[in-house]
Amino acid sequence: MKQVLEKLSASFEIEDIVYQRDDLTFLSAKKENLINLITHLRDIEGFSHFVLLSCVDWIEDDKFQLTYFLNKPEEKYDLGIRCMIDRKEASMDSAHHLWKQIATYQREIKEMFGVDFPGSPGVDEPFILEGWDNIPPMRRDFDTKQYSADTFFPRERPKTNDPKEYMKEQMHPGEWGEYRKEKK
Amino acid sequence: MSLKDTLIPFKAWGNLVKKPVTLKDPMREGAPRYRGFHKNDVDTCIGCGSCEAICENEAIVMVPAEGIETKDGDSGLRPLVDYGRCCWCGLCVDVCTTGSLSLSNEHTWICEDPEELKYIPGIDKKPWDEKEEGWKKPVPNYHFYGQERVSMEEMEAEERGDSFIEFVKGYSKEQAQKEADRCVECGICVATCPAHMGIPEYIKAIRNDDIEEGMRVLYETNPLPEICGRICTHKCEDVCSVGHEGDPLSIRWLKRYIADQVPSDKYKEILDTQKIYKGDKKIALIGAGPASLSAAYYLSLLGHNCTIFEKLDKAGGMMRYGIPEYRLPYDQIDKDVKYIESLGTEIIYNTNVDAAKFMELKENYDVVYVGTGLHLGRSTAIPGSDHEHVFQSIDLLREITEGKEIMVPEKVVVIGGGNVAMDITRSIARLQKIKYGKVGVITTSLEKEEVMPADREEVVEAREEGSIINPGWGPKSIEIEDGKIKGLHVVRCLSIFDETGRFNPSLDEDDKNFFEADMIVESIGQGMDISYLPEELKEKIEFGPRGRINVDDYFQTSLDWLFAGGDMIQGPDVIHGIANGHKAAIGIDNFLNKK
Amino acid sequence: MSLLNIETDRSKYPVKGEDGKLQIDLDSHKYVKLWQGPNHPGVTGNMALELTLAGDEIVESKTHVGYLHRGFEKLIERRLFVQGLPTSIRMCVAEPDSNEYVYSTCVEQLSGIDIPEMAKWIRALLLEMARLQALLRVVPGQGGTFALGLGVQWGVYMRELILDRFEELTGGRVYHMFMTPGGVRGLLPGGFKKRMEENLKEIDQFVINIDNLMYSNSVFKKRAIDVAVLDPSWIDKYGAVGPVARSAGYNRDVRKDYPYLIYDQLDFEPKVMNHSDIYNRSRIRWYDIQTSVDLIRQIMAKMPEKGDIKAETPNVLHWRIPKGETYVRSEASRGEYGLYMVTDGSDKPRRINLRGPSYTQAVALLQDLLVGANIADVAAIMVSLQTCPPEIER
Repeated sequence: MKQVLEKLSASFEIEDIVYQRDDLTFLSAKKENLINLITHLRDIEGFSHFVLLSCVDWIEDDKFQLTYFLNKPEEKYDLGIRCMIDRKEASMDSAHHLWKQIATYQREIKEMFGVDFPGSPGVDEPFILEGWDNIPPMRRDFDTKQYSADTFFPRERPKTNDPKEYMKEQMHPGEWGEYRKEKK
Repeated sequence: MSLKDTLIPFKAWGNLVKKPVTLKDPMREGAPRYRGFHKNDVDTCIGCGSCEAICENEAIVMVPAEGIETKDGDSGLRPLVDYGRCCWCGLCVDVCTTGSLSLSNEHTWICEDPEELKYIPGIDKKPWDEKEEGWKKPVPNYHFYGQERVSMEEMEAEERGDSFIEFVKGYSKEQAQKEADRCVECGICVATCPAHMGIPEYIKAIRNDDIEEGMRVLYETNPLPEICGRICTHKCEDVCSVGHEGDPLSIRWLKRYIADQVPSDKYKEILDTQKIYKGDKKIALIGAGPASLSAAYYLSLLGHNCTIFEKLDKAGGMMRYGIPEYRLPYDQIDKDVKYIESLGTEIIYNTNVDAAKFMELKENYDVVYVGTGLHLGRSTAIPGSDHEHVFQSIDLLREITEGKEIMVPEKVVVIGGGNVAMDITRSIARLQKIKYGKVGVITTSLEKEEVMPADREEVVEAREEGSIINPGWGPKSIEIEDGKIKGLHVVRCLSIFDETGRFNPSLDEDDKNFFEADMIVESIGQGMDISYLPEELKEKIEFGPRGRINVDDYFQTSLDWLFAGGDMIQGPDVIHGIANGHKAAIGIDNFLNKK
Repeated sequence: MSLLNIETDRSKYPVKGEDGKLQIDLDSHKYVKLWQGPNHPGVTGNMALELTLAGDEIVESKTHVGYLHRGFEKLIERRLFVQGLPTSIRMCVAEPDSNEYVYSTCVEQLSGIDIPEMAKWIRALLLEMARLQALLRVVPGQGGTFALGLGVQWGVYMRELILDRFEELTGGRVYHMFMTPGGVRGLLPGGFKKRMEENLKEIDQFVINIDNLMYSNSVFKKRAIDVAVLDPSWIDKYGAVGPVARSAGYNRDVRKDYPYLIYDQLDFEPKVMNHSDIYNRSRIRWYDIQTSVDLIRQIMAKMPEKGDIKAETPNVLHWRIPKGETYVRSEASRGEYGLYMVTDGSDKPRRINLRGPSYTQAVALLQDLLVGANIADVAAIMVSLQTCPPEIER
């Protein structure tokens, strides 16, 4: 498989190759090469089974990572192809013509992360969330707990005590906390 | 498709004559491992809150429970389980540090009010409290955190037995992080630590490999981390929740690890003390031991000018002159002391403060703080103890530090079972090894082996180095022949305290023993020497039981300008001295601000 | 037979317009829009099919999900690695052990932890038991879609027997939470193997009974054979896996192809068929029951008696995993069941993404497979793909 990857890296600008397991390799491809690469892998290299399309939010880098998992059943080999795209007005070329199920993945990612796949069938229709009026919920900056507290009627959690603070109160009231009283 | 295909399904009618498999009410019990409602053995539970920390549903909250007292090693809190949230995964049972929490196999409980579906297991009585069956912590070897302490590299007994080089090597980064990983961050240790150090926080800093943050946490409450990281009595480790099922966390060595990583010249930068405010108030501190050093450090941060007066020619007090170098190298004391000095504290050495000098200090300074410790050895006062070859351990230890030659015969008996007794035992053993190539020390104490006040590892290591530790004997008399010591007569000690808890050893006079010796060292405790206090002041100062000076919460004596701390007030140990000094600094600051 | 074949009037069917889409004018009264689900006895769980009918034939179908979205993947992003376990299992109710396995294995792989031998055997046993109990529900369930409810009753009872064994071994009936990252939470209790063997004997008899009741049943055959035939070329095109792929001639079984745990030490051959209609897709699961029963027997015979159950792990309360990603798959009763986990050096996963078989089979594949089918066969086709909506929307 290494030879195949070497061959590919020449023509498709592959980088960051990580041999995760004997049967699983991760690599990164550029956005503009990606569709060509997976088409090539499907048609020429025998990666006929499309496993998964996933999205990861790297909010601190202002990037979305799209991961395309391809599997070669003959050799029992998996490739995870990463593609970094800008987080602002995120958009990616659609791959729905290659495998039928990709349209579903793309529709879900559009809804959950806000990554657009122009031309993908039904990509703008709500997949799971009907009438959603907030930011795409799988983004890291969406706070599930806060949303839940604002939207529903949360049942109050009984008051808890921190052992350290409680012991201070009970055994040495007023003794700690005054520490680090400095004048600079 | 054939006729057979049409007929064969009718075989199913055969079930009409079979016995039904339906379960009848009442339902059968859950399996022995079934994960049902919680049980808690509240007497074993210490309220560490690990169950709360691991609960992914926030179903557990820690609440005060009736009849449970908050004390050292027990927060007094107990888990309350909310079954509106619980998912019965049982991870709380698996992580429980004491093994007190378990699940019963009871799985039905019906009530009309959903708010009723919560209770404190073990406190609120439930029908399933007595049930044996249910989910328990898995066996064998199933642990959610490391059970064994990361072993500390030490010199072997043969290697260290004839030298005063520090034999505990200290943790490497990997070792320290692995040890720090075992911490469950319950914080129960903090209340027990006399200085209330931020133990979970600095251990967390080690895990995060953030030594600078660790340093800041240490110095919040303890300005002598190099020293404490080596010789602290680590009361925190006695109450460590991880110690209930495995080894307690090695908190002391972790503290040492942090301090060891930082070179002296980085201290000011890390602790942000390059520029500190200085006011015009002056404080005189007597004795350069931990209590004064700690007070001086925090007073400097508060903007006051401190001067320490020290009788001997080096700082450190008992830390330098009482603790042998193999446990606490002098350069580490210097490292901590130098940083305190660098913040503006002046230490004046070789200055004995007597009554006249004391009055002079009172006149020239706003506040006088005394931290003169316990430097007078106590004698057993048994017949023969006035012989010239009967020594006080504290005097010998001081002389060893000062580099003076002390008497080292081939046979020595040490009386005492505390850490000081171990210190002198091991020091003499080393000197004997150097002089004669062999060790001949017998150490005996009133206390039996199990209740010896010395740290366990001190006893073990002393034995490794060849000393004989023979506890449980009461000294009777010292045999002297031709003006020379022949040995020590002892009798079996049955108990030390009487029914009322007073010190009153009961001895079995028939069970005798004799330890041969050329020299005897007494190490049964020390007293304070406050002869420097002028008589007219002594009359005004309030004294408490056993001659201790009475102080308030901030270590202020009945004379408002006089503060006192350290071994003479609390302890004796370094960490109490540090804690006293810190508190006194705040007290002094408050006093000066009011003035 | 020919008497029953009635030629339909194809002129009343919609034709494709210029945009390639079917031109369906509901106002023409030629078509009926019918929602099957989300609450429908013939639907496996909460999912809706929006069907457009011409007569009783489906001309267009759309899968609608969103009725049980719980956001587990998001929830796990804010949980410690050990806390993710009780949440992850809920992504698939029918067969939660596959979740436990893939989740824990992802965590172990990314932290470089090898679990002890004993734990591997117990995990394999649990996975096989989980496959078995899921198959015991879905195999007779196929009869249920043709109103043959009797087998379902039998199957539910057989499944309860396996759940009893689960309860005995793991302390839970449906959600077992037994494969914590690092190992498993206990050894087999005393007498477990004996009781298991008694249950397996009953299941052996059940297999014969079901064969008589369903697979030899002329009505069942009439309804199932040659209905909703899946072209083998569709398998990769739609990402179909497991029994669906094997019924179409693709010998794909994760246990064989990527032997995990101790599957390389077991002797088994997954059944492969060459004509994927409802009958064979169901039949192949009937064979799978026998394979699972056989594997449970093999595991119980070969597994060691004693051994460590958990590897040494970091303290679970602050278990951090360096930046990395991995994909771990296992063979659930429905086929390839995988988890993609991304870590970022913190004590919580950055992202987990589950790949369940129904994600492809019940949306893209089902939508296209239903076109041309009879309205009465919809439920049967869904069950023949072993649709499990929870894994579509997690």
